[in-house]
Amino acid sequence: MRAAIGDNARVLRYAFISAMADLRAIYTWRTWTFAWLLRMLAQVSMFALLGKMLGSAARTQYLLVGNAVLVMAFAVLAICASTAWERMAGTLPLLIASPTAPFVVFAGRSVQWLLDGVGCSLVSLFLLAPLFGVRLPMPAALLVVPLVVLIAVSVYCFGLVLASIALRAMRLRSLIANTGSLSLMVLAGVQVSVSFWPAPVQYLANVLPLTHGLQAVREVLADGRLADIGRQAALECSVALGWLVLAGLAFRHLAESGRRDGSIEFGG
Amino acid sequence: MRLFWASARFQALKLRHSLDDLMVLVTLPLFTIAFMAIVTEAGRFDLAPYAVVGTGIMAIWSIALFVSGEIIDSERWNGTLDATVAAPASLATIVLGRIAVVTLISLFGLAESAFAAWAVFGVWVQVHHVGVFLLTLACTFFAMVGTAMIMSGFFVLARSAVQFQNSMSYPFYVLGGVFVPVAVLPGWLQPVSKVVFLSWAADLLRDCLQPAPVTQVLLRLGIILLLGAVAMAIGYVLIRRVLHRVRHQGTVSFT
Repeated sequence: MRAAIGDNARVLRYAFISAMADLRAIYTWRTWTFAWLLRMLAQVSMFALLGKMLGSAARTQYLLVGNAVLVMAFAVLAICASTAWERMAGTLPLLIASPTAPFVVFAGRSVQWLLDGVGCSLVSLFLLAPLFGVRLPMPAALLVVPLVVLIAVSVYCFGLVLASIALRAMRLRSLIANTGSLSLMVLAGVQVSVSFWPAPVQYLANVLPLTHGLQAVREVLADGRLADIGRQAALECSVALGWLVLAGLAFRHLAESGRRDGSIEFGG
Repeated sequence: MRLFWASARFQALKLRHSLDDLMVLVTLPLFTIAFMAIVTEAGRFDLAPYAVVGTGIMAIWSIALFVSGEIIDSERWNGTLDATVAAPASLATIVLGRIAVVTLISLFGLAESAFAAWAVFGVWVQVHHVGVFLLTLACTFFAMVGTAMIMSGFFVLARSAVQFQNSMSYPFYVLGGVFVPVAVLPGWLQPVSKVVFLSWAADLLRDCLQPAPVTQVLLRLGIILLLGAVAMAIGYVLIRRVLHRVRHQGTVSFT
């Protein structure tokens, strides 16, 4: 048991190193700051401006906070692409053949997007909030930092499930990621409260990542009770765990069905 | 013209087999729903045209950015740029024909967005000034094709610019007053918006959805056309420079 944990930890460490190498190959600090981050800031600003156009400070705050947290999901769900790259690079059969579960590799393979997403979210929130007159109660607002990390992990677990689908439908990987992030944008209480939607949609929203974590962030910024914040954070943890288990099952099914029908080939 | 139509026909056939290129049109209803939800929750049904026009223009820009912007590069990756450069046909005309088809298809985003607003929220956005609306669409089409020509050449000439491709969406939606009128932007940004054709196009399209008469139609259409013509001229120059560079450096192919 201890040996298995040690092996998985070693695999995760190498997957993490590989993920960081990917990040360095994709971005320099200049392109990340002046291209990617700037785009994210523009996205959040656009929705905050929409709030201004509606003539409501409360609406401006709601949209700014919601979208500042949401941009993290746009970055994190790039996990669909980076997971698919493995299959395109022809490494999937080797991973399936190796004694380690492919899920462990894929779980660590895309963590670069967690750093990217959390960075984009926190910079957007702490930089744009003062510009749009949104109050950040200090030092309580710093509690947002671990909450955004928690939400990012939760979205990452959701992304792993989407990535397992993207591995089966490689050409649709971008579509899958975009549909995932836009669904969160619509349903998870980013633009409008979850209660805006009909009851069945609310049930769906409650099992999506982001919904409870974002609610916790809103509670923090509204000087909410610690018990309420903790309850929403615990719900976000539960949702993350649920998606992680689902992702593990999905990757195991992918490997088993691939072995059975010979669909794990070299190349996409 | 024969070359233009042939390349346009080729692009149309190619699009039938590349779902990714039209991905924006697949996910567009979700954007419309998000914006419509915001205005509906705020009780501002009068802003429904902003949601419909905004998401429609977003589709036009996004498709131009990702599909048109990569046309020359895709020829290069497919190994067909060699033959294209060697042929007497003008590369710029080929690119123009292909971009025209992509942009034409992207215009359906507006109708799709209007349909999504009606299907989900029961809000029907009526076009009160059909003639001006169609003229604006035609001018927007022209300006978008011109701007896409710039992207197509620029992304090949400046390889580092490709890293910025992903990032040229939302900054232009803000600058172009796509969802929020330029008047709401900070004062120091507003002059910059005036040279982005999207701001004129979005304003005019929104005005066409209001019952009030549309003012200064010719002037505003003229500015969209002028910005489009300038962009197209720059695009032609950039594509000629691409040709010049790949011929002189022997880098027509990536091999």
